[in-house]
Amino acid sequence: MGSESATVKGFWWIRTEYSAGSGSGTGEIVTGLKDKYCIVGIGETSYSRNSGRSTRDLGAEAVRNALADAGLHPWDVDGMINYHVGDSTLSQTIATDLGIRLDFYTDTFGGGSSTETIIGIATGVIEAGLCHTVAVYRSMNGYSGLRQGGSPGTVRPPAKVVVGPDLDTTPYGITSPAQNFQFTFARHMYEYGTTSEQLAHVKVACSNHASNNPRAYYNKRVTVDDVLDSRWIVKPACHLLDCCIETDNATCVIVTSTDRARHLRQRPIKIKSVAGRVNKPFQGMYSHYQCDPITRQAGYYANRVAFRNADIAPEDIQVTGCYDAFTFTPVLLFEGYGFCDEGGGGDYVSNGTINLGGARPNNTSGGQLCEGYTHGMNLVIENVRQLRHQADDSCPGWENGVHSYDYSEGGCRQVPDAELAMNMGWGTPAVASALILGR
Amino acid sequence: MAEYMNLILEVQPTDSEHRGYYESARQGRLVVQRCTSCGLLRGIIGAACPFCTSGGWEWEPVSGKGTIYSYEIVTQAIQPAFRDWVPYPVVLVELDEQRGVTWRWGIEDESVSLRLITNLVQRDDPTKPEDEANVAIGKRVEVTFLNLADDFALPQFRLSDEDPEHEPWQAG
Repeated sequence: MGSESATVKGFWWIRTEYSAGSGSGTGEIVTGLKDKYCIVGIGETSYSRNSGRSTRDLGAEAVRNALADAGLHPWDVDGMINYHVGDSTLSQTIATDLGIRLDFYTDTFGGGSSTETIIGIATGVIEAGLCHTVAVYRSMNGYSGLRQGGSPGTVRPPAKVVVGPDLDTTPYGITSPAQNFQFTFARHMYEYGTTSEQLAHVKVACSNHASNNPRAYYNKRVTVDDVLDSRWIVKPACHLLDCCIETDNATCVIVTSTDRARHLRQRPIKIKSVAGRVNKPFQGMYSHYQCDPITRQAGYYANRVAFRNADIAPEDIQVTGCYDAFTFTPVLLFEGYGFCDEGGGGDYVSNGTINLGGARPNNTSGGQLCEGYTHGMNLVIENVRQLRHQADDSCPGWENGVHSYDYSEGGCRQVPDAELAMNMGWGTPAVASALILGR
Repeated sequence: MAEYMNLILEVQPTDSEHRGYYESARQGRLVVQRCTSCGLLRGIIGAACPFCTSGGWEWEPVSGKGTIYSYEIVTQAIQPAFRDWVPYPVVLVELDEQRGVTWRWGIEDESVSLRLITNLVQRDDPTKPEDEANVAIGKRVEVTFLNLADDFALPQFRLSDEDPEHEPWQAG
């Protein structure tokens, strides 16, 4: 590659290495671990808004359920990774409660986009020989405890001290995720004509799927009009029903090598690739608004890592799990990962593709819009079920993979012959993560 | 330090990035950081220059004129003191200075502009939010200052007399 001196005064480098997709583009050899590691166990608690339990108790239950699902004993697990935003109970506590002695653990800070990322970290630490079987979990009282962005409706508290980067936004009444992301949403509506009706279809699809999931917090089907008639939270893109369902829950997946997985209880679901956390050039919660196009999600970059290492293309994916904090987030993720063109997300989510029975169903459990908000974990758990062909719907033979594929209310939610599934995580418009799983 | 909307706004002794910003505002000047190495401005306060990595910078007064690049109307306030304000607009203002600087040779079709996040306040009263019906992408705005203490003013933006930059757009 030729070199070209930068001409702006003060630049001290010359252009020698950067090209489109540098570090994550085509033609560059990067060692992946395709199919070398698996998800062998999944576990969760119920989804509620009044757990009345500690995140310690919830977390222990989810990890215990995942162990049971995998057919693992406590002494078979030697690694733990948890993510939190100051709310979850840390690895050492849960491990002690369950009699697990750890050779590796870490508790990482972060919300959405953490799920896929730390599953990737789990494969990395196993590959590095630090441990061999990792329980990845998240525990949160996401409604009755710490709510993202704060809890509206409380009495006027003492004056809050605002310092540092928060000075740039908090005095303007902008703190919650719906408020933080809204400039991207509004600009997308302006530039591409994306409509509230199109967004409502994301919720409608999730509610239809949730009606076939007994675990879902909201399992009533809703219509486009129900969404449009719900009260505004933040205009122009977030009615109440455009927002996910904050819940109390804990969730766990267990990662181990394909070699070990052969001897366990469940069909292992192979990890084809992981990306995360992948960022736009200006990656802060608000600084990304300096850099156009602000309508672009960081999946634009993450898709190169995810698809290159899995050695497949978007059209090969049969099921998606898109981080649906809001109805708008899947729109941007589908664009970023190349399931449609930039600007085409509104059409993609409203043309039937994402429905059960459609070409590529999304969030078949009902997702965070209906099953429950978990910071992404339940979307991975559901894709594991789909690839096992064990969506736990009302089909009598679901445990043996026997399904009716009748997606009417209260019926089936299994995608036929699911072989490849993808999760797309979201931190902000500027932060992405991804996970491709295969049967 | 200043008190506003049940918030105590404080530039701590170690907050080297915000030092001077609110004092300038109190003197009626909107300032942004200018890199003393490459000379480029930046719209969000930071410790170093994303264009050239230099840590050297100085405050540079700007015109305080710009265009609404995106907006939102908050109808459910999270912060308690803002509950009396709903529905209130928050705007992403693109300043007139240094628009559309190509990022990394334009390889990913990216460019960088100076954008500030503030409320859109009433033209004659910066303590009150502008009517949501008047908020639209493309409208021209100008800075105004809400004096909160002897050495502290909060920059806000209000609609200006200028014609919109393009056909104003608000979601239907």
